Amino acid sequence: MENKINYGPSFSEEVFQNVDFGEEIKMCMNCGVCAGSCPLREHMDYPPRQIFSLIRAGKREEVLSSKSIMLCTSCYTCEVRCPRSIPVIDVMHGLAHYALKKGYVPRKDTADFGREFWNQVYKIGRIDEKDLPRKVFFAGGVVNGIKATLNFMDIGLKLFLHHRMKLLPEKKIKGIASLRKMLDKAEKIGKGGTVT
Amino acid sequence: MDQKTAIYICTGCGIGDAVDVEQLKENGTEDFSIDLIKDHSFLCGQEGLEVITKDIEEVGINTIIIAACSQRVNYDVFNFGGDKVVERVNLREQVAWSQVPGEEDTQMLAEDNLKIGCAKAKDTSVPEPFKAEEEYSKDILVVGGGLAGMTAALETAKAGYQAIIVEKEDRLGGFLGKMKKLVTMPYKELSDTGAADLIKSVEDNPKIKVFTSATVEKTTGAPGLYSVDIKANGNSLTERVGAIVQATGWVPYDANKLGHLGYGEFKDVITNVEMEEMAAAGKITRPSDGSPVKNALFIQCAGSRDPEHLPYCSSSCCLVSMKQATYLKEQDPETVNYILYKDIRTVGQSEDFYRKAQNDGNIFVRGTTTNVGESGGKLFVEADDELLGENVKIEELDLVVLAVGMVPASQPLEAPRIKAPADAEGADEEGMIEVAPDSGFFANSALNLEYRQGPELPTLKYGFPDSHFICFPYETRRTGIYTAGGIRRPMETAKAIDDAVGAAMKAVQCTEATAIGMAVHPRAGDMTYPEFNMKRCTQCKRCTEECPFGAINEDEKANPLPNPTRCRRCGICMGACPERIISFKNYSVGMIGNMIKAVNVPEEDEEKPRVICLVCENDAYPAIDMAGIKRMKWSPYVRFIPMRCLGSMNLVWIADALSRGIDGILLMGCRHGDDYQCHFVKGSELANTRLSKVSETLDRLALESDRVKFVEVGISDYEKIPEIIGEFMETIEEVGPNPYKGW
Repeated sequence: MENKINYGPSFSEEVFQNVDFGEEIKMCMNCGVCAGSCPLREHMDYPPRQIFSLIRAGKREEVLSSKSIMLCTSCYTCEVRCPRSIPVIDVMHGLAHYALKKGYVPRKDTADFGREFWNQVYKIGRIDEKDLPRKVFFAGGVVNGIKATLNFMDIGLKLFLHHRMKLLPEKKIKGIASLRKMLDKAEKIGKGGTVT
Repeated sequence: MDQKTAIYICTGCGIGDAVDVEQLKENGTEDFSIDLIKDHSFLCGQEGLEVITKDIEEVGINTIIIAACSQRVNYDVFNFGGDKVVERVNLREQVAWSQVPGEEDTQMLAEDNLKIGCAKAKDTSVPEPFKAEEEYSKDILVVGGGLAGMTAALETAKAGYQAIIVEKEDRLGGFLGKMKKLVTMPYKELSDTGAADLIKSVEDNPKIKVFTSATVEKTTGAPGLYSVDIKANGNSLTERVGAIVQATGWVPYDANKLGHLGYGEFKDVITNVEMEEMAAAGKITRPSDGSPVKNALFIQCAGSRDPEHLPYCSSSCCLVSMKQATYLKEQDPETVNYILYKDIRTVGQSEDFYRKAQNDGNIFVRGTTTNVGESGGKLFVEADDELLGENVKIEELDLVVLAVGMVPASQPLEAPRIKAPADAEGADEEGMIEVAPDSGFFANSALNLEYRQGPELPTLKYGFPDSHFICFPYETRRTGIYTAGGIRRPMETAKAIDDAVGAAMKAVQCTEATAIGMAVHPRAGDMTYPEFNMKRCTQCKRCTEECPFGAINEDEKANPLPNPTRCRRCGICMGACPERIISFKNYSVGMIGNMIKAVNVPEEDEEKPRVICLVCENDAYPAIDMAGIKRMKWSPYVRFIPMRCLGSMNLVWIADALSRGIDGILLMGCRHGDDYQCHFVKGSELANTRLSKVSETLDRLALESDRVKFVEVGISDYEKIPEIIGEFMETIEEVGPNPYKGW
């Protein structure tokens, strides 16, 4: 479903109010440096600059269902180069959160990964190198899980040989109670927690 | 003057190693009576100079030839007073550094250079500065009482000179006085225009005389000696001034031509000027019914950057639209402003105001307007959105503002029509043809100059007065008249203030220099001026028409009437005159002819060709010097003769040179054409045109027209010099030696 262009403030206002640092995109002058710097732009359907243009043009559907907002790896290349000092990373992640909240799942694997990551940090205060991939791979079903495991076999082996991955489950961190308090508080003020 | 001539050869900087100085002293001076020849290893040092000054005192030397470095350096060092003739012979950049040291050809080149210098010194007299009979005025007339005009007057007064402002409206202020607010440094927010304060400081200043509801009826005279007839409020009066600053400003582009954007069709489509007037008068409302403005759209580049309207950008309209959008937001923070643009041009620091406009929530859409229409009492605008590649329709608009461009007040509203010449196309039934507005004339005149070439300042492009914008932006093609502000080019207020200060300074400099007989830029400080031997004048008027500065009028007997203070001393008139009646005390047709004749032309069997290169002093000569400084090498057969401007080249020199057996003549001048660099505007172009007449003569003499070549050289083209010379020498080899050698 596509919207017609509407430069009226309605969608922009929605973004300004609900997305982290959303109002900063007002400053975008469409120079394209962010799009030019992004290492993942070839996989994105709309590079960052175009996402901002689309927001301002009222293209709600395209923006919230775009893969781009889920693909941001936080490398910060765009943000340090932006001549308008727009915090691109925060906006992209903010948009991703908002999209998920509103029920759009543009990229299921990223959403799954994010969710499992958060849950594991909440549970044991650290990442278990074999548990997390297992949960992510098998989130898409048993067949997908086996396929993915076989794909990542060589990396897994190397991790194991370099003592980065244990066969036994990881132990909880020491201050897990205080960590959980922090994460709860973050969720309460709307700056944390999983969406899906 | 009874010449007592001395030659001083410097052997430093490698000159002593490149040439045999003793031989040079002998061969370089034969045929000339030289009283004294000395050499020194470090002539520009204290000891070397003392040798010269001692000779001046004891022996009474009054003509000094310095055979050393280029004339472009050490001119302050080799200055022995205005009553001495000093001649410079270039043995360094053009001999020692650019030729192979110790070679026979290098020696011959040095000797020829010295001979040329001796010939020049012989025909040079000490200049006597021009002094008019009437008293000089140092007052400055400022035409136009807007921001630029008022600033120029204030700066003139601050410098201690009397200023006179002539303003055609009934009050000072111009467009500044009609603005609500200003966007200027530091470009963070709106500022007050400051018009009231500025006007008050002008009116209160004892050194500024103000005439409102006034126009200039007639301007006669020349720098230092202008007589201006002013009609003010029905009274006529005359003022004598020394220089003029024209700050007559701009008018907005005629929006009636923008019907395709809805102007004239819909009452709620207005121009940025109309918007500003509405804002300054009070509240901004819909012109059609006075209701409030909730949604406004600004169309940028309305009739600008468009080959069918104004081809250029007016540089300030983007900022103005942002300013007016800010007015609307100040009036009602809920207003939604759209700015539809091609590119946003906020130059320099003013980018900060663009940031503010974005931060305030104004919506910037990049696209081309395709339609402006009405629907349900409100306006809509359709555009091709460039960034998203789709059509966009912005609806429910209360107001559409067209950001129109600035047209100089000198641009006539209609293209002028003159009687069509015989072979012209496009003449109408009455035999009249439309003149291209930028053919150099037919501008609206604010000064009504009584110059034979016309009453207005010649224009170059789009109706703006022509000025050499790289070197001398304020001066126009009329000496003593300087433009500032919107009349010179479209600009915003901060730039207009800068402009006015510059123009005022130039005007003051002009009056001071003229009063002591000195030329203004580019030949600043030159005390010579062209003198006419009227007895032999045939009244052909070539000098009068070709002078780029209109310095020559016509008297009752149809003879040319020179106005020396209007003159820029380029010598273009000298080059144009077929009877050769024009000369300067230190620059004349005969002198250059003698310099060419001083060159030693070897016999044909020696196989040493000789080429004379007439070099423009302004761009080409420095380029050659720079090539020498870089130790580039070129043919030793070329003799450089510097000219004030290649436009001063008289065709008789070519005849002289060829009849003496010189194999080729190379002319190096500045770039001409639309993007010209010629410091005297037309000189280089005129030389090129005159050459086309030479090829006919050459063919009649059974000489190849390839022997004479014109090359455009820019000051940064120094690395091309060896190539240019090399190519020409190849051509000369191909055509063979001049058959007139040895005659």
